[in-house]
Amino acid sequence: LSSALYIPLIGIAVFIIVVVVVFKSMWRVAQPNEAMIISGLRDRGTATDTAGDSMGFRIVTGKGKLVIPGVQVVRRLSLDLHQADLFVECVTHQGIPVQVKGTVIYKIGDDNQSITNAARRFLDQQDQMDQRVHNVFAGHLRSIVGSMTVENMIQDRELLTSKTRESSGDEMGKLGLIIDSLQIQEIDDPTGYIENLAKPHNAVIASNARIAAAEADRLATEAEQTADALMGQSRRDTAIKMAGFQAEQDAATSQAKQAGPLAEATARQAVVDQETEAARREAARQEQILLATVVRPAEAQRDADVASAQAESRVAVLKAEGEARRVELEAGAAAKRVELAAGAEAKRVELAAAASAKSVELEAGAAAKRIELVATAEANSTRFHGEAEADAKQRVGEAEGVAIKARGLAEAQAIDARAKALATNPEAVAMQALAEQWPEVVKAAASAFDHIDNFTVLNGAEGVNEAMMKVVGSSMASFQFVRGLFVPKEAPSVAPSTTESDAP
Amino acid sequence: LSESLYGRLARVSGRVAAGTVGEVTISIRGGTEAYLAHPADSNETFSVGTWVVITAHSGRTVFVAAADL
Repeated sequence: LSSALYIPLIGIAVFIIVVVVVFKSMWRVAQPNEAMIISGLRDRGTATDTAGDSMGFRIVTGKGKLVIPGVQVVRRLSLDLHQADLFVECVTHQGIPVQVKGTVIYKIGDDNQSITNAARRFLDQQDQMDQRVHNVFAGHLRSIVGSMTVENMIQDRELLTSKTRESSGDEMGKLGLIIDSLQIQEIDDPTGYIENLAKPHNAVIASNARIAAAEADRLATEAEQTADALMGQSRRDTAIKMAGFQAEQDAATSQAKQAGPLAEATARQAVVDQETEAARREAARQEQILLATVVRPAEAQRDADVASAQAESRVAVLKAEGEARRVELEAGAAAKRVELAAGAEAKRVELAAAASAKSVELEAGAAAKRIELVATAEANSTRFHGEAEADAKQRVGEAEGVAIKARGLAEAQAIDARAKALATNPEAVAMQALAEQWPEVVKAAASAFDHIDNFTVLNGAEGVNEAMMKVVGSSMASFQFVRGLFVPKEAPSVAPSTTESDAP
Repeated sequence: LSESLYGRLARVSGRVAAGTVGEVTISIRGGTEAYLAHPADSNETFSVGTWVVITAHSGRTVFVAAADL
């Protein structure tokens, strides 16, 4: 009975176990980080895109699904985070070559479209996904860096992500991937651009550091110097005070030392004073002696000498007065004698002049008579000679022509010579010419008396002298005139006047 | 499985403007996901942190307009 009872129970248990095992083998569960791709037998849950086209497979995320073995195939696609390390050499927007080391973090999108795109591309190559993405994204990074400057790469995170989206978003979308993050980890800059970017700031910081250090140093030095100065001042004050004390000490010492000599000197001074007084009195005594023995006698002698000199002077004055009187009287006598002699001489001259005038008168008459007779004789002689000579001259003329010509030449030379001589010594030449003409001058002067019958003298000897002087004066005037002709530079002082008042 | 994006609110996580590719963060499927974003009206610009509303989407790309909060 009991065995018959157990058999169905065992059968039921086996059935249940089989069912559980079968179910277990058919039920697939998707982990939170994966998607199950179930392809094969179509069912109601088949995903469709927006256009309604069937994808032909089912995507299951986050839950379980019964899979019929043999007709349906389950594949799992990891939705985990992936990382691709990038190292590209590229050129920035400014043309600076840089080597950029970066990391891109990406995953397969959580929406069905991304899972579908990724499943179609990577389902069997999930281990190679990083390599693929690396290859694609290296190109994107090159273009991203090429559109940015070094400063932007370093500073502008927002711009970097924006550029990343712009250049790679659509293309990664094709692969069903989304980029969670792009990190530029390192920029290698062979040209030193980044280093140079830092230099101005470094220089400013270094400068500020040096300024601060110098300022601190200055302040410290100032403090030190101030302290030194104060120390010096203090030392000086101390030294001054000590010197003052020393001086007082020395003064006291000196004063003490000099006390002895001072007393000695004072005593000596008193002695000298007494000696001086004694000497002064001795001098006064000597002076009195000299006054009595020398000065008084000398004064007496002087008074005597003065009286004597006064007496002598008086005597000399009286003598001189006597002599003057005598000379005066002698002079008066001499004058009287001269006066008388002069009167006698005048009388004698007057008489001599009268006699001379008479003599001249007589001589003139005789001369006139003689000249008249000579003239008559000569007139006759001249008439006879003229007839004879006319004939002779006619013959002689021709001979004389030659002679005159020769004489003319000679005279020309003579004149020439005289002109030279006149230039050198006009006075001598004039005197010579005058000497040659002197006989004619005297003759002309004498001719003034030729026609005089009576020569009346109105005032005696004085009148005769006057007449003679006039005659001679006219000659002299002629002489001066002629001389003036030859000596033009000398001022002619006498007018060429002839005798005028002699005619009766 | 596929949740509709249309009408959802999103927060701008990368400046959205014409001529560039912006990014919005959307609360979806229990978590948050980043989507590429463009302005529905090309004259509009949304800076980071502002809220927008999704007017259209295509794959991982959405078009957004100013959210009327």
